[in-house]
Order: sequence, then structure tokens, then C-alpha cells
Amino acid sequence: MEEQNYRSKKVIPYLLLTPTMLILILFLYWPSLQSIYLSFYQQAPFGRKKIFIGLNNYFSLFQNSNYLISIFRSTIFTLITIVLGLFLALILAILLNQDLKGIKFYRVIFFIPYAISATVAGSLWVFILNPVAGQVNYLLDLLFNLQIAWLTNSFFAFLAVIMATIWKNIGFNIIFFLAGLQSIPESIYESARIDGANSLTIFRHITVPLLSPTTFYLVIMNIIFSVFESFGIIDIMTQGGPANSTNILIYKLYREMFINFRPGSAAAQTVVLLILVIIVTILHFKYGNNKVHYQ
Amino acid sequence: MKKFILLLAVVTVFICSLSTIAAEPVTIEFWHAMGGHNLEVVNNLVDKFNQTHPDVQVKAQYTGSYNDTLTKTQAAVQTGTAPNIIQIYEIGTQVMLDSGIIMPIEDLGKKVAQDTTFDWNKFLTPVANYYTVGGKLNSMPFNSSTPILYYNRDAFKEAGLDPNRPPKTFAELKDYARKLTIKNEDGTVERYGFTLGIVGWFVEQMVANQDANLVNNDNGRSGRATESYLNQAAAVRFVKLWQEMVAEGIMLNPGRGWDGANQAFSSGRAAMLIESTSSVAAFTANAESAGYELGTAFLPRPADVNRGGVVIGGASLWTIADHPETELKATWEFLKWLSEKDQQVYWFENTGYFPVTKAAVESEMNNQFFAKSPNYLTAFLQLLLSKKAVSTQGALIGTFPEVRQIIEEEVEKTLQGSLTPQAAMDEAAERVNKSLAEYNKLYQ
Repeated sequence: MEEQNYRSKKVIPYLLLTPTMLILILFLYWPSLQSIYLSFYQQAPFGRKKIFIGLNNYFSLFQNSNYLISIFRSTIFTLITIVLGLFLALILAILLNQDLKGIKFYRVIFFIPYAISATVAGSLWVFILNPVAGQVNYLLDLLFNLQIAWLTNSFFAFLAVIMATIWKNIGFNIIFFLAGLQSIPESIYESARIDGANSLTIFRHITVPLLSPTTFYLVIMNIIFSVFESFGIIDIMTQGGPANSTNILIYKLYREMFINFRPGSAAAQTVVLLILVIIVTILHFKYGNNKVHYQ
Repeated sequence: MKKFILLLAVVTVFICSLSTIAAEPVTIEFWHAMGGHNLEVVNNLVDKFNQTHPDVQVKAQYTGSYNDTLTKTQAAVQTGTAPNIIQIYEIGTQVMLDSGIIMPIEDLGKKVAQDTTFDWNKFLTPVANYYTVGGKLNSMPFNSSTPILYYNRDAFKEAGLDPNRPPKTFAELKDYARKLTIKNEDGTVERYGFTLGIVGWFVEQMVANQDANLVNNDNGRSGRATESYLNQAAAVRFVKLWQEMVAEGIMLNPGRGWDGANQAFSSGRAAMLIESTSSVAAFTANAESAGYELGTAFLPRPADVNRGGVVIGGASLWTIADHPETELKATWEFLKWLSEKDQQVYWFENTGYFPVTKAAVESEMNNQFFAKSPNYLTAFLQLLLSKKAVSTQGALIGTFPEVRQIIEEEVEKTLQGSLTPQAAMDEAAERVNKSLAEYNKLYQ
């Protein structure tokens, strides 16, 4: 009897895991393996011909200064969107955590950007930043007599894309920070206040550490967002331009596959991107985890 | 015995007629990239065909942009679910020829459908020339367009320019733009003289307009292109003009694509614009509602350079070979029908794309269409007056979509001042050469 129980205990978990594994294998691991396989070939459009070229796709990637610059650009892009994005989200979450009348309405408003599609968000920003008819330049002109070429100047275009990406994802971050804030027991704050701590001290020594599990999770999610999902906004707003200034890795990869029709090189770029994200995630788990304070 | 034979005959006839009655109409799939208003026009045409041809059912499917359509076709071919007809942009011609999946339209008509009545000379010469490779017409010309210069006649009058004398040369374009530009006291620009979206197509056209080629081997038509001519005088001259005008503040740089430039022109923020002839209808309507008079003209060119002309743009319809013969024959029926005069006229009048056959143009001449719509006449004359040469026949480049991207990136670099026009075009040529070498390696 016990023997049987033991055996079924051994089998059932695997049985329960099977559907998940099947989906993962079919839609995640198998395509990933295929990408690795494809990255060793040069393939003709329409797949008519395939030439084995070994690691040449990788070699030409790393000999291409454009690609190396794109790695650097993507790193900067990711860093700024995460640091600035989380910082703003935290501040907004604290504000939205107040016990105000109609606070739910405000919370909804801040969440809306996350709910709309990247295409709509991108178009919206193109409209707002339009140098001739956009609201932003209208205000800048009125206040500071400035006309900024938002999407046709490399520096401002990079800034604009970062702005739009942060704006698009801030709802997600706020929700998680809000949940995190609300799970911090009021009693801790109370005792701190009794001990005479001011609100800045409370924020630094209680709120931030107790939010660290949420922050840790959000950093990972935001890496994934800004590395993989910023694609839609960039495609609509700048198409990687002007002069490649917003051409980050994921967009470069898309163009290689769907405009330049080079599946081999695109596959190699996918593998490189995958490895980069894995490295960053491992580093984050290794060094970021030390600072996480679990209650 | 006689009775038996008679019976047999009757039964055979009966069975035959039964099977024709019971025969399902042949269904063919048609993927296209005509969105928005043009989507309706395509659907109307397809509906009309289906109503008049009960034995063939065409299913039209909008598959996104030209680029998306090409991508989806590639995926479909690899999974064995390719449609019968696909609309591919002109710059996809070489890649389609190399794809190994198409049946040249001339083979389809002559060999498969054995159609002896079809007039292969019915197409306008510039159009037929573009899609004729290796001595035969490979795809059915469908939507064709070229760029022309649009200008605001009222703004011309305001600036003291003669609206009946639009700029003809690069120098004049610059001079006119300078006069048309209005700057506010605080230095901001109220109205720009000229605007142009960053689209690689314009550079291609401006090269052809100077009777120069984009690539070697007769624009890739006598052999595979191996060398780009982007760093030669023709392309550099135009990019230089572009860069100088933007730097001087007399030309608005609206960024990549078409929308920014169109908005600027429509809203009166720019007085001149180069855009596709397929936008004639839209601009005419806009001019009417905004209350200004629209003018059109040929593309300007450098004063000391011989005139080449424009290359036909737009897209054509390709047939995928790997389908049963009944479907191929039905495909031919549909394509043939589309090239008939009535359909061509309907298409032209509702979309602004050129009719591609001589009969349709003649019919429009007869009913005074061009007299009533002089802006369409500009578009036509420019095309028909183009020199017959490989320069205006259009380049065949396997990696053309990529070449366009490269041109756009390099133009952006010059407009930002990070590279001189010559340096940027040198870089462009080098990148194109590399891309050509890689592509050609696949087809050795």
C-alpha cells in the first residue's frame, strides 16, 4: 500500500507537468533549438536553398560595427527605461496609495496605457510629438519658444522612444508596487513613527526594503519588456531611425528577418539576444537577490 | 446494337451534364496589400468577377503591407499553403523570379490556358518593360504609380512666383523653396518651401530622372547586379540638394515614410512636395476642402543633365505555380479579366493608380477625363515622355527592400550632418555591394 502510494507520488507530479511541458517544448524549446540550427546556415528567401556556413553568421555579426553599437544602444535603452520607469512608478504608486476620494479613478487612469496596444501607443506618441501639429511642441513653443525635431533628430528620437516605452509600461509597474505597498503592515509604520522617524526615513528604511521582492520581480519583467516588447512602439514611431539611433537589438532582428530576408543571420541574432538576456538574468539573481528583503 | 450505342450516348451526355451541374466552382485565393479605401475597390472588383463567372470563385484576402504580404507568402510556401495570386511590390520582382515558386504570367496564358486571343501588347510600354525579364512578362501589371511634384498654386502667387511655371531644375527648386518659405520673427518657420518624406523610392526615381542606373549590368537586367552606383554623381547630387535645403531651413524634414510629409503639405505647412501619383485624388480633395489650388509638375532635375524619366512603381500580380491545372486556368481567367478595359478604368478612377493598358488610357482620353483632371495628365505625360532606356526600365536587385532601408538610413545621416552626402552614399554603396554579394552567392 505504502509502496504504491510512493510510486504514484512519483508519477503524478510528472503527469501534471506534462501539459505545461508539452506547450513549452512545442512553442518555446523547439523553436529555440531551430533558431540555433538555422543560425549555422545562409538561407535563400522562400527557403529554396540552404548553405551551411558554420559560425559565419556570428562572425559577421561581431565584425559589424552597426551591430556592436546596437548592443551598446540597447543596454543604455534598457537601463534608462528600467531605472527611470521603476522610479517614476514607485513615486506614482505611493501617491496612488493615499486614502483619497476617487482614488480608484486615478488608479485606472494610470493603468490605461498598459491596456492599449503598442501600435496605438506608438501612433499616439507620433501625434503628440509631431513637430508641426503636436501638443508637446505647442507647449514648448508657448513656454520656452522651442521647436524640437522629436523624431527626426537622433538624440531626441531616442529620448522619445524611451519616454513612450516607460509610459506604456508604467501601469504594470504601478499595480505591482501598489500591491506591494498595501501588503506592508500598517503596524510597522506606526512603530517607526512612534520611534520618531520622519517620512523620508520611513521611505528609505521601511518602504524600500520591504518592497524589494516586488522590485526584484519588476526588474526582471522590465528587462523582458524593454528588450523584447519595445519593438512595437519603435516600429511605429521611428522604424529604428533616424540613422539607426533607435535601432535596438530586437528591432534589428525583426528587420533582418522580415525586410532583409536573412533567416540565418536573424537566427544568430536571436541566439545572441537570448544569451545576453540569460546572462543578465543570472547576474541579477546572483547579485540582486542579496539585497532583497523577504518579510 | 444501334440502340445500345444510342443509349450509351444518352447516358454519357447525361452523366457529363450532371457532373457539370454538380461541379463545384474552382476557388482561387488572392492575397493583396491594398488597405483602407483601396481595399473596398479591390473587393468590388472581385465581387463583380465572382458574379459574372459562376464557375470561378476568387477569395481576396488583405494581408497587410507589401512587405507583410511578401513575408506571409514565404511562410505559406514553406508550409504548403500558398495562395494562387499574390500582389508583390515592384522591388520584389527579382526575389520572386529567384523564388522558384512562380509561373510567369506569359507561360500561364500561352502554355497552360492556351489562350491565343490575348493581346500581349496591350500594356503601356513603361509598365510592360519593368515586368518583362528574360524576354517574357512575368507578372500581371496591376497598380502602377510614379512620383510627381505637387505644389500649392496660391502659395506661389503669394510669393510672387508664376504658378504656371513650376520649378524644372534642382537650382529652381531650391530658389522657389527659398521664396516660398515664411519665417516668423522669433526664427520659427511658419511655412516651408518644400518637404519630402525619407523614402528610398525618391532617390531611385531621381537617379532614373537623370538617366543614370542604380546598379551595374544594365541595372541588373543583363546579368545579376553586383555593384551599386549609389555613390555616383546622380544619387549624390540629389542627396546633396536634399541635405542643403534641409540645412538652410527651406525644406521640412518630416522623418521617414509618407504621412509626415503629406500632413505638412495638406495643412499648408509646406508649399511643395514630391509624392506618388496614387495620391492625386487625395490631394485634390484636400485642396478643394482647404480652399487652395493644387498644381502638379514633372520631377525636377539638374540643369546640365539629360532627362531620363520615371520608373514605374507600385505592384504587380504573381501566380504561384504549385496548384492544380484547373486552378491555374481559373487564375488566368481572373487576371485576364482584370486587364480588360472596364476594370482598368474603374480601378484608375477609384484609386488613382495608373491604368496599365493602352485601351483604358484611350477610353479615358475619349471621355475627356484628362481634360477635366489635368493633374492626372501630368502623371501620365511624365511617364510616357520618359526615355526608353534601362535607367527608366527600373533596376532589378534581389535585396531591393534592404537597399531601400540602407538608402533611408544614409540619407538620415546626411540630414543630421553626421556624414557628407558623398561619404554617406559611399557607405551606402559599400553596404549594398556586400548585400548583393551575399545574395548572389545563393544563386551561383
